[in-house]
Amino acid sequence: MAKFDYVLAKTLEDAVHLLNEPNIRSIPLAGGTDIYVAIRVNPIWFDRLVDIRRIPELSQITQEGDVVSLGAAVTFSHAIANPILQKVAPFLVEACSTIGGPAVRNCGTFGGNVSNAAACADSLPALVCLEAVAHLRSPKGKRQLKVEDLVTGPHETKIESGELLTHFTFKVPPEKARSCFIKIGRREAQSISRLSIAVIGAVDSTGMVDYIRVCPGAAVATPVRFPHVEAVLLGKKPDEEIITAAAEQLVVDMIVSTGRRWSTEYKEITLKAIAERSLTKIFLEDGQHVN
Amino acid sequence: MANLKYVGHPAQRVDALDKVMGKTKYVGDMSIPGMLYARSLRSELPHARIVKLDVSPALKVPGVVAVVTSDDFMNHSNFGFPISDMYMLAYEKVRYVGEGIASVAAETPEAALEGVKAIICELEPLPAVFDMAHALDPDAPQIGPNRTDGNHPNYIGHYPVYKGNPTEKLQECDVTIEQKYETVMQEHAYLETEGGLAIPTPEGGVVVYLSCQSPFIPRNDLCKVLGLSADRVRVIVPPVGGSFGGKDDLNYQTAGQVAALALKAKRPVRMTFSREESIIASYKRGSMRMNIKLGADQDGTLRACEFRSLYDSGAYSSQSPFTSWRASIHAMGAYRYEDCTVDIDTVYTNTGYAGAYRGFGNTEVCSGIEQAIDEMADALKMDPMDFRLKNCLKVGDVTPHGQLLSESVGLTDCILKVRKMSDWDRKRKEFASQSPSAEKRRGIGVAALFHGTSLGAEGLDEATATIEIHSDNQVTLTSGLTDYGTGARTVYTLIAAEILGIKPERILVHNPDTNTAKDSGPTVASRTTILAGNSVRVAAQNLIQNLDWAAADFLKCDVYQVHRVGEDYIGPSEEPVSWDIIVKHAREMGLVLSAFGRWTAPEIHWDEEKGTGIPYFAYHFGAQVAEVEVDLKTGHTDVVNIWAVHDIGKVIFPQGAYGQLYGGISHGLGYGLYEDLDYQNGYAQSINFDTYLIPTSMDMPEIKGGFVEAAFSAGPFGAKNIAEPSMVPTAPAILNAIANATGRRIRKLPANLERVMLGKELTKKGSPFSCKVALKIT
Repeated sequence: MAKFDYVLAKTLEDAVHLLNEPNIRSIPLAGGTDIYVAIRVNPIWFDRLVDIRRIPELSQITQEGDVVSLGAAVTFSHAIANPILQKVAPFLVEACSTIGGPAVRNCGTFGGNVSNAAACADSLPALVCLEAVAHLRSPKGKRQLKVEDLVTGPHETKIESGELLTHFTFKVPPEKARSCFIKIGRREAQSISRLSIAVIGAVDSTGMVDYIRVCPGAAVATPVRFPHVEAVLLGKKPDEEIITAAAEQLVVDMIVSTGRRWSTEYKEITLKAIAERSLTKIFLEDGQHVN
Repeated sequence: MANLKYVGHPAQRVDALDKVMGKTKYVGDMSIPGMLYARSLRSELPHARIVKLDVSPALKVPGVVAVVTSDDFMNHSNFGFPISDMYMLAYEKVRYVGEGIASVAAETPEAALEGVKAIICELEPLPAVFDMAHALDPDAPQIGPNRTDGNHPNYIGHYPVYKGNPTEKLQECDVTIEQKYETVMQEHAYLETEGGLAIPTPEGGVVVYLSCQSPFIPRNDLCKVLGLSADRVRVIVPPVGGSFGGKDDLNYQTAGQVAALALKAKRPVRMTFSREESIIASYKRGSMRMNIKLGADQDGTLRACEFRSLYDSGAYSSQSPFTSWRASIHAMGAYRYEDCTVDIDTVYTNTGYAGAYRGFGNTEVCSGIEQAIDEMADALKMDPMDFRLKNCLKVGDVTPHGQLLSESVGLTDCILKVRKMSDWDRKRKEFASQSPSAEKRRGIGVAALFHGTSLGAEGLDEATATIEIHSDNQVTLTSGLTDYGTGARTVYTLIAAEILGIKPERILVHNPDTNTAKDSGPTVASRTTILAGNSVRVAAQNLIQNLDWAAADFLKCDVYQVHRVGEDYIGPSEEPVSWDIIVKHAREMGLVLSAFGRWTAPEIHWDEEKGTGIPYFAYHFGAQVAEVEVDLKTGHTDVVNIWAVHDIGKVIFPQGAYGQLYGGISHGLGYGLYEDLDYQNGYAQSINFDTYLIPTSMDMPEIKGGFVEAAFSAGPFGAKNIAEPSMVPTAPAILNAIANATGRRIRKLPANLERVMLGKELTKKGSPFSCKVALKIT
């Protein structure tokens, strides 16, 4: 068993201080659902875990005006039961409910999901669609980065050593926007996404798409929006034909990004299907209403 | 058999409360003063010669107390049955990734691991065979032991059933089909991993607490490899956290290693496996490639079957000779044929190794033949239920093996009942009219099975139980067969309570212990209810004779005048006398208040050359129906419902029987949809449950079960069995349902996302990385 030290941070300042003590490699611990798995088989890359779970402001979900703030140590179970998120970001809640099983959801956090940055992380596509901004703090001060920009590759982020991811903020999506999250896993629980997709969109008074965000999960190296796909839809009437065109564009863009891999033959069919289904859900059926 | 009080009635499982409350102590919970922790050095290569093995550096590691290798045993620790090709620790060669080479005992698990890492072990890689189709190539590297009969050393055996000449008969048939089917390796996934605790005795012997199925096998093996007499080796089976066939050979090696270490260190030694070590080192369900030809006439009469298959036993033969034999007996399914031949060849490769696993060959062949039967029904444009009903075995039929079935054949009733329960006819019709463009399609499929009870012609088939009334009037039972989670203890308890006329709460079933129980053969083959149950019945019947005699003496009448009301005895005076008073009186009379019961199965025989005989003394029958919804665009299969009706003979312990049924179906659902212990170049690609997927409770459908109680006259109260056969038809029922939904057939298990959608597997390049890392972590 790997040997390392553990310390409980009582305040945000305390946590930042502990993460930056010299001569001891410290990393934050929230739910631990990724760290505990990783240290079973990987050489240990830290000397100390700084537990941030008891810092009250890191576990808060608040709304001020049209800005929602989501603490990095908010667990998925907490999010699923939260009225603010249920109201303004139902597809994020839906995504959280597909993660692991109850035990994992009781521990796992948004901060952990984002900083672990797995290509198949289930909360990321919706966060990217919401254009969520990650707030980081270090002794040098505070900085902000879009989640989409923060994640640079599978298990790679721009979070620097000693920097603490404290919370996310995102603007409440437009009224009348509808959202949807679909996950394809090999089984119904404790399942890693084979593919997923988050979409949120709205139409204007003439029925034309005036707001659309599309982000698949586990399709490319990092969860990103697909601007060409969104461009296909923007300003158009979202009928079956245009939805199919958008889904086909998504598959083209995925292959441009990843090249043809062992799994492409499967993913190109399935991604198209879940893109069509999710877009159909929000534009042609009763997708989950935002607001 | 009217008026049974306990048998067949709802009962509380005798070990349930302790398990639910966390009081049950498994090997991994045991800790005694001075106990050392053991760890094995395991092979990182699939096939290699051990060039150098120097354990002296390990002994210099702080905390390490003892190290053993094959040199520390008699005859290099050779053991194994029916083929003695295994070693407690590797001798001269390793044949699979994960094979034990040396074992270290230390003060802490960490020190034991450091000791393992310090051992100097030089392995010279040897060419390996991973594809069973090439195992017998003339230039294939030798994996199996030397042999003198001219056969390839990688050849384990040929297992035939011969009736007539199907090759000729197929030409006469109106319709023939020929298809290939393939199954892959499956991990048992028992909740408790392997483990053993050995304690040296003052006399120079050893007591081993071993999580295993059959304690007398390791007891006898340990005597052989340690050079100890039977009185010096005692094996006790503590509660076992699941087995499913998986706690045999590998954990006998654990027993050998901890026993040798305990004798050497003169201290108790415990070894428990991590999940990764368990999956890497343990044997699996073997993979099988089948070629099936069937012939039938247009009226739906099945006439001929020609079944050929190759079975991969991996690095060791383990139980594969028996698995292959059972597979051969069941390969044609539970049907009548004019002509039928089965040829199964079993070979060694360097792909892990295959051993016993629930269903034991039948699970594999049933997934093939039950799909072939459906394909034939399709070719005949017959309903699969009608086709099965027309051809399935009935009382009075002679099986393709030449066995006359004289009683207890409930298959027709099972099929009729499951057809009704599942609303088959309406759904078949409804699903046939689904829109061809629908992305999500429903389907319904059936599979039937027969399953020979107990060992069959594998060997001597008998069991002995003991029963005793103690001074406080508690009744204890022993059996040489283990309840590793099946509910067997409750079965014994209900049988003894029924015969003795006492409440089940008075009875306690001891853990199997080679010093107190009688060797009853292996706890395998779903034989416990019939064999151990019957031996308990006989023991209780022997014991009650003394109590009846004491009652007659006490009541001053003849034995035939004594009656029972509840536990009480009543004589001509009609004054009830309690059981405790009668027991006390028996004791005062000097009567023996203990008894043996031995039961030997009816005689059977099998001619291995001619492929005919009476392979089993009775058969379990059953049929399951699966309803699925398949998403053609994602390949996702949702099993919506399963109905299962099995002829298990008399049901002794209803909740236990349903528990076995549901558990078996979850095993079968995993086998059908998810499970594939894939090896690439000898390295397991899934070594934990993050990537080796078994069904979760969220994946399990509503299951509706039912039993047909076609009594087997020699069974205890007419009982047969349920444990293994409950899983056997599940996978083919699901595969048949998928074919019904999609019109496409998946002939290689499992029906995962890619196979369902694309009709083929997409494979990622394999890696030895996880196995190598996991063998070096605590």
